[in-house]
Amino acid sequence: MRAKLSNLINGITLIGVGAVLLDFFFTGRVDQYLHPQFRPWTLVAGVIFCVVGIVYAAAKTTAQCCIDGECVHQDVNSPVRTLVAFLVLFVPLAAGVALSKDGYDQHAVLNRGFVQDITKLPSRSSSPTAGTQNNQVIPPQALGADMDERASQPLPQDTPSLPAGPDVATNGGTGQANPAVPSPDEGSAQYLPKAADGNVALEVTDLLYAESEDSLRRMFADKTIEVIGQYLPGSDGKQFKLVRMFIVCCAADARPLAVPVAVSGPMTATEMGWVKVVGKATYTQKGDRAHVVLQADKVEPTDPPAEAMLY
Amino acid sequence: MSWFTFTWQNFLFSFLALAFEGLPFVLVGSLISGAIAAFVPSRIITGVLPKNGLLATLASGLLGLCFPVCECGIVPVVRRLINKGLPVSCGVTFMLASPIVNPIVAFSTFAAFRGQAPWLNMSTRLVLGYFVAVVVGLTVRLFKPESILRKGAVKIPARKRLAFSISPLPDAAMNDAAMNGFEATFPQKIIAAVRMACDDFIDTAIFFMIGAAVAATFNTAVDQQVILPLALDPTLSTVSMMAIALVLTLCSTSDAFIAATFVSFPIFARMAFMVFGPMFDLKLFFLYSVVFKKRFVIGLGIGLFVLVGIICSRLLIYVYAGQAL
Repeated sequence: MRAKLSNLINGITLIGVGAVLLDFFFTGRVDQYLHPQFRPWTLVAGVIFCVVGIVYAAAKTTAQCCIDGECVHQDVNSPVRTLVAFLVLFVPLAAGVALSKDGYDQHAVLNRGFVQDITKLPSRSSSPTAGTQNNQVIPPQALGADMDERASQPLPQDTPSLPAGPDVATNGGTGQANPAVPSPDEGSAQYLPKAADGNVALEVTDLLYAESEDSLRRMFADKTIEVIGQYLPGSDGKQFKLVRMFIVCCAADARPLAVPVAVSGPMTATEMGWVKVVGKATYTQKGDRAHVVLQADKVEPTDPPAEAMLY
Repeated sequence: MSWFTFTWQNFLFSFLALAFEGLPFVLVGSLISGAIAAFVPSRIITGVLPKNGLLATLASGLLGLCFPVCECGIVPVVRRLINKGLPVSCGVTFMLASPIVNPIVAFSTFAAFRGQAPWLNMSTRLVLGYFVAVVVGLTVRLFKPESILRKGAVKIPARKRLAFSISPLPDAAMNDAAMNGFEATFPQKIIAAVRMACDDFIDTAIFFMIGAAVAATFNTAVDQQVILPLALDPTLSTVSMMAIALVLTLCSTSDAFIAATFVSFPIFARMAFMVFGPMFDLKLFFLYSVVFKKRFVIGLGIGLFVLVGIICSRLLIYVYAGQAL
């Protein structure tokens, strides 16, 4: 009787674990937790857990779980083991289904610290196994010679790249040496993705990559840019950080990326709530790097993007 | 801001992410373990290795090339193999080497360090992982199995089944005959494999979840900036990277991508992260405790910490001399 009960509860535990995995997969919540390459495993594992759980619960109970004399498990029918397995394996996962908000609050972001140089982050796109790419919205073609390793098609206009000029602050187009002469950046700019209202729709990562790419900075100059991210309040009301989390494998290794946003007037937003910022990107040279600040014309709450994490 | 700020929201998010990422790997390891138990006779396990104990230990470090199991799933496999007659020294060598010396990890390391001397980093990691595992395995040969293995975790017959003789022992051979002979039909073997895999999973996953909970707490509640200033000193940077590996409890198939991001740390410190982490971390402390005595597990952790630390902070500097990493 004890063995049958243990079998049943262990089987329920395994089925429960499988059900949680399947629930997260089919509701799409797993997207917030894992890199796309790991997500199918939750489906596969969820199905297997359910199947083996049913087999385990229904299989004929024997005195030992394994072959006579070869069992390595300690008293598989022990009610303590069965209860602990249920409490440690199933209960936390089930609690997660109900309680998890599928995201970090500002304490986790501040504890992890912001990425200082985005170019040092690993890029899955450089991996031959890469299935998706979500870290930049700018197509490789638009990056010209700066990203020639990834570019598969030549630029439509067959113009050589301009020699990199001095890294001057690009503010409202003042960085353009001679606007009368068409530059490859102007041709490349046609590839910049546009939002419904005509603004250039960028990711936080694009603005940060531009800190080390002069051609990108020139491309963003004078454009009205629209960026979505999470609101992290600053020390005063004049600035806040627009945050996105960058993950390699799962949310446990998430690293915060942030763009400072300068606002002219008072604004209200929920901490770590999703906001859309419309404005212009300005880059100021400090040492050997440029640093971005997004001058906001408008900040408004918005829905989370389909992929909350960047990778 | 305090150095420790715990919130349930952050804990649950990080904990669930670790669970969703790791549980499938634990399951795969358990299924392999169950399949080995039901279908692979001891004579094959023991016969594939050289008869000589030293050579067997050396060969065990390469078994990961055939059994590419990450550290989450390796423990049930090793426990099963030891129970099948694999010498403990070979089991420990396999357990430590397999999460590093396997094709998946080699591939992911190469991809993660693309642009940062990928061939050198990949080969250094594999060679160093193999070397450290063999050194530990050979050291384990000096101990009696009874002094290492947890009581009840593995059957230790009166005869020296787990000593350094490789030949299969009568009781194991008998059991194999019972499972692989005419008595058990194929469906019965399947069910037996599933049951054993499930029990292996339950034993292993309990400790994995505890480790994931501890790691999630460290990951989200502790201010990471507190440990970053240590990056400037060779010894301190190596020690701190191993400490980070200890608490992050990453999977070896993906930890190279994390290591590659710690650009403020020198490459040898990141190598220590990638060699020490798959061999010992908070999660593995609990997992190893399923098979080995606590005293051995603690000694193993300290030994690995010192060995990997010395090699990386003192010797790898010369390997990477001239590399702009």
